Amino acid sequence: MKITPIIGLEVHVELKTQSKMFCGCSADHFHVEANTHTCPVCLGLPGALPVPNKTACEWCVKLGLALGCSINEQSFFERKNYFYPDLAKGYQITQLQKPFAINGKLTIDDHEIRINRAHMEEDTGKSVHVDGSTLLDFNRSGVPLVEIVSEPDIQSAKEAKKYLNKLQQIIRYIGISDADIEKGSMRCEPTVNVCIDDQFYTPLVEIKNVASLTGVMNAIDFEINRQVKQFEEDRQQKNSSNKTTRGWDADKNQTFLQREKEGSADYRYFPEPDIPPIIFSKEKIEEIQKNLPKLPGVKISEYKMLGLSDYDANLLAEDKDFSEIFDKIISLDNSNEFAKFSANLLLGPLKIIEIEIEKINPEYFKKLFDKKSELSSTVIKQLILDSYQSGLDPLEIAQKQNLFQISDTGALEKLAKEVIETNPKAVEDYHKNPLAIGFLVGRLMKVSRGSANPQSGKEILEKLLK
Amino acid sequence: MTDLNKLTLFQARQGLKSKKFTAPELVQSCLNRIKSLDKKLNSFVTIVEENALKQAKTVDINLPLGGIPLAVKDNYLTKDIRTTASSKLLDNYIAQYDATTIDKLKKAGAIIIGKTNLDAWAHGSSTESSDYGPTLNPWNTQHLPGGSSGGSAAAIAADETIISVGSETAGSIRQPAAWCGVVGFKPTYGRVSRYGIIAMKSSTDSPGPICKSVDDAATLLGIMSGHDPLDATSIDEDPWKKPESRQNLNGLKIGLPLSYFPSQIQPEVKEAILKAAEIFKKFGAQIIELPDVLDPKYSIAVYTILQRSEVSSNLARFDGIRYGHDRSFFGTEAKRRIMLGTYSLSAGYYDAYYLKAQKVRTLICQDFDKQFQKVDAIIGPVSPTTALKVGASKGQAMFGELQDMLVEPSSIAGLPGISIPCGFDKIALPVSLQIIAPQRREDLVYQIAKLFEDNTDYHLQRPTL
Repeated sequence: MKITPIIGLEVHVELKTQSKMFCGCSADHFHVEANTHTCPVCLGLPGALPVPNKTACEWCVKLGLALGCSINEQSFFERKNYFYPDLAKGYQITQLQKPFAINGKLTIDDHEIRINRAHMEEDTGKSVHVDGSTLLDFNRSGVPLVEIVSEPDIQSAKEAKKYLNKLQQIIRYIGISDADIEKGSMRCEPTVNVCIDDQFYTPLVEIKNVASLTGVMNAIDFEINRQVKQFEEDRQQKNSSNKTTRGWDADKNQTFLQREKEGSADYRYFPEPDIPPIIFSKEKIEEIQKNLPKLPGVKISEYKMLGLSDYDANLLAEDKDFSEIFDKIISLDNSNEFAKFSANLLLGPLKIIEIEIEKINPEYFKKLFDKKSELSSTVIKQLILDSYQSGLDPLEIAQKQNLFQISDTGALEKLAKEVIETNPKAVEDYHKNPLAIGFLVGRLMKVSRGSANPQSGKEILEKLLK
Repeated sequence: MTDLNKLTLFQARQGLKSKKFTAPELVQSCLNRIKSLDKKLNSFVTIVEENALKQAKTVDINLPLGGIPLAVKDNYLTKDIRTTASSKLLDNYIAQYDATTIDKLKKAGAIIIGKTNLDAWAHGSSTESSDYGPTLNPWNTQHLPGGSSGGSAAAIAADETIISVGSETAGSIRQPAAWCGVVGFKPTYGRVSRYGIIAMKSSTDSPGPICKSVDDAATLLGIMSGHDPLDATSIDEDPWKKPESRQNLNGLKIGLPLSYFPSQIQPEVKEAILKAAEIFKKFGAQIIELPDVLDPKYSIAVYTILQRSEVSSNLARFDGIRYGHDRSFFGTEAKRRIMLGTYSLSAGYYDAYYLKAQKVRTLICQDFDKQFQKVDAIIGPVSPTTALKVGASKGQAMFGELQDMLVEPSSIAGLPGISIPCGFDKIALPVSLQIIAPQRREDLVYQIAKLFEDNTDYHLQRPTL
């Protein structure tokens, strides 16, 4: 039996704007005392009116452009009417017919995933269930949300994860959201069905409550298997009215039926009369496009052109701040050699957790690079770390601590003699087995604090031990 | 000093400034009038006596409305004052904030003396569908005041206040002003902020003044208007300023749409309007008959679909969870409108109803554009009849739409208009004239209305109560 999974992803991203989508309240709702960031607008009080947040609209366009979308020069908001206790107005303001951005794509390992749309909407409040009663917190009500809807082009759980990773990276790069799935600032709802033997399509299932990347993968995999088994049992195929919604239970690692006949929901959309159409002129769109930062995909290919490995290029481009400091460093010297030298330092000694990017001084990389023939690689690694921690010039540190390589044979000989005297056991070993010279070289490196040239050190030791 | 309550805004301000009387005396006189009359008329849902008198003692009378008693339609949110929209669903709702216009009026020194009655949720043209009982017409209490701002119009006609504010979605200022023989000024859509006024049909809701004279209404409109950052549909312009009045109408072309005189029109109404046209002609205006203005019947259909659709969504927030009572407190009319609107927005019907109505709306706007290439302003009757009898709206689901058919087209197109008294029928009920101008041309509306008022005395007549 041939099984082809068909997966589409709906991703909601909370924008980190100062204020909410349609009022002046702070959009920050994470660990905030309940109902303190509220006003007549986000509480849905009588008479209150929404005024769209300009920054949020521009950020949605920004994301659309980063995803290769076309931007609708004229967009408008619509009301999606439904009842829920934490939906203050009884409708959500969203976009249906004319979203800000349409027809984009993300490429995952040479496979193109089409993006249907990126549209702007508002978040709902939160229902908190305590001891059998439900409390409502409206701090989240009206927080700007962008919904990114993919076409059902994703073919595996793994690809879904890569898609989400890439989306997350782009969102963080352009600085519009933390896109943190665990914190809820990025939420994902996969829609899954499978094509069996190129002819049978199982009914669509939308999966809710997935709260981690691993959860997304597991839920999709579970659902693919479940649907195949289900099909073998009932041979039921997809039709316009048998879409269902299933919840994801991360503890039991399985999905469960939440709602049947999703197709019959009617949200009675109509254009939001309280908000005039939003116009983005060609000039404005161009301006936003121009101010987009270089995106990770572009950076990776540039780094690879500089001779970096695929792995290193990805690692450097992954984090925006990290790649920005790398770009600053390599702007000081355009040789491939310098790029590789700097990448090794950034991804080696400096790839420590919680690095403070602003403490990295690009000049120090260049200084070390220029003196690299006089410094051992061990010393260079140590110096970049020391200078990062102290802020001091690495060459000055090297000077002070006499770390420049000892090319003077006399000085090396003196140290070698010292090593031979203090390590009689090792000398004995060497006489039994010449390969044991490695230990003595190591000692020599240590007493010279890395400044000895290991090759000439080895030669001197061998000469003295003859 | 007696009968201070009968003064116009202009007279009251003069009296206060020249210290003929004080603000507390003025406020007290209106409150006395309300106490003696309102059991009969029922213009007010809520009276705020104590607070009004307190404020009157400290108010700066040099402010534009310093110490002037103001009656507010009960769909405007007024901080710390009950706001019901005349629905029992909000019987216990104390507003947490002031509507933008209320804030402006308060800052200008106006003293809120009470909240006036309306058709529940402003759904109607009779004030008979209020959950707090009907308001009666001060000219004849067997008749209706019109609606939905019937309480404000009746309060002005009965001298229970000096000034009042109402709101119009399709006739709700002009029609009750007409039936009560007072001045109702409906501005261009977006001229006055909608923020803090309980939404009815968001795309045409227009708050405006109801007063005793054209000048009073224009002064009030000036204070209420201006861009509001809290209302995305508000016009990005400075507050409107009352222009100079005119001594003649030389060079002005005034249109008379033949379709605004339907066959069912009351003969005295038609007669009064044609007489008014003669007056304008006498003062130099050219009266031009407009034979091809779209039949107002199309506006009735468009308005009914769009209004129900928006209402079904606008009333969704009244779920009783955060404030007010639950949905069982909605009256029959609100339920009927919610159901019709829900239907017309439903999948499969949206295109046939809502979308089609929007297209016809565009045609109606274009029709006005076309007419305004031929004339500067349009005049006509406000209502095909004078005030109908109490009970006339009962069992008539389309009562309002038919009574408002002559003001609906201009509401749908967002145009400014005014209703001014221009005669009386044979049982002494007022007849009124409307003047409509292109968007943002309140100046023309004012000048034509002012000239008419300066040369007639209909506005000086008061009911005997």
